[in-house]
Amino acid sequence: MAVLRLLWLCVALVPITAPADAQSTTPGGMPPPPGMSLAESTAMRFPQPVRVGDLIHKDVLRPVASQQVLGHVRAVVRAGDGTIKIVMSFGGFLGIDTRQIAVPVDAMVLVGQDMEVVAFTPKQLAGFPTFTASGTTPVPQDTIIRVGLAKPSH
Amino acid sequence: MRSPFRPDNVPDAAVLDNHRPLIRSLERRGLIRGGLSLGALVMLTGCDVKRPASVQAALRAISRMNDEVQALLFDPNHLAPTYPSSMILRPPKFNAYYDVMDVKPVNGETWRLELSGLIADKRPWTVRDLQAMPQSSMVIKHICVEGWSYIGGWTGVPLRIFLERVGADLRAQYVAFKTADDYPSSIDMATALHPQTLLAIKYGGETLADPFGYPVRLRMATKLGYKNPKWITALEVTNTYPGGFWEKKGFPWFAGI
Repeated sequence: MAVLRLLWLCVALVPITAPADAQSTTPGGMPPPPGMSLAESTAMRFPQPVRVGDLIHKDVLRPVASQQVLGHVRAVVRAGDGTIKIVMSFGGFLGIDTRQIAVPVDAMVLVGQDMEVVAFTPKQLAGFPTFTASGTTPVPQDTIIRVGLAKPSH
Repeated sequence: MRSPFRPDNVPDAAVLDNHRPLIRSLERRGLIRGGLSLGALVMLTGCDVKRPASVQAALRAISRMNDEVQALLFDPNHLAPTYPSSMILRPPKFNAYYDVMDVKPVNGETWRLELSGLIADKRPWTVRDLQAMPQSSMVIKHICVEGWSYIGGWTGVPLRIFLERVGADLRAQYVAFKTADDYPSSIDMATALHPQTLLAIKYGGETLADPFGYPVRLRMATKLGYKNPKWITALEVTNTYPGGFWEKKGFPWFAGI
């Protein structure tokens, strides 16, 4: 009986030391609703000013509970049509076969120290062409751009 | 060869027969199974499982005891670590019990901070009133119960100075908050009077942005993130336990770090 009581005490102590992740009653990083443009979806996400240089090297996560790392921010460029794209490393294994793709900044969100791609699945990203700098201009590190937010996805 | 350890008089083999059902029920696998189900229960403690009221009551009693121990350990003069302003994360990390799209910005022009309870001067406060008060800045770590953290730079009115100005009863037990996003919260008076407890109105030197609690939110260096309500609309000084949004769902109330 004494052992059973001790076990119950262990169970009882758990929620006090680790009260689970119940902060999330609704998930974060949801994709934009069908038919909504990327720019419109970013406008709903309270886009915040961020220095371009502060985005470089950030982890790019998949907006799921496991927070799988899809790649890292390598550069920020302005495309020919004037939109801003985040150049990120993508795919491969341990750097082998990893390539760079350019993802519209409005398809992404800031989640604290990390970014997430919310508008495209990893499968869709795999179909993105490999980034080439031609036709784009790099955005200087001190430029302030606006990026939408999301709550953590866990 | 006969074992030298074999006793001269062995017990009657019938003893085994008498206890065979009991021996058969002794399985090492049973221990593993028991351990697994105990583990499963542990995993489920944060979820909304139906548990007997007595278990709930026991858990709450232990949580309350935990709060009391933390309150005893709390040193009102001990400061939490601070960091250089170069380490401030801009913008800060957003979190709430809903996603950012559901944030309802507060109009700073019409906003008023309502005061109630054990306070002498209950006149409502405007944003300008708060801006005119002495300000203090701190670069501290925001530590979330979910397991993540970031370093943020906050500026605002030390809650102690605010409470003294409005003539609050500083011997009262609790300071409670109501917010525009229906996230009630409350803290102990000792923490309310701690020098690293601010009614924050700026982040990184700029006016607080909408998703982070404009016009005013609580920022404490000595408690977990969920104890820091945003978009505060009302403040009460009271001796009646006010609870809070997550506390009602079983989170610890003191939540010190």
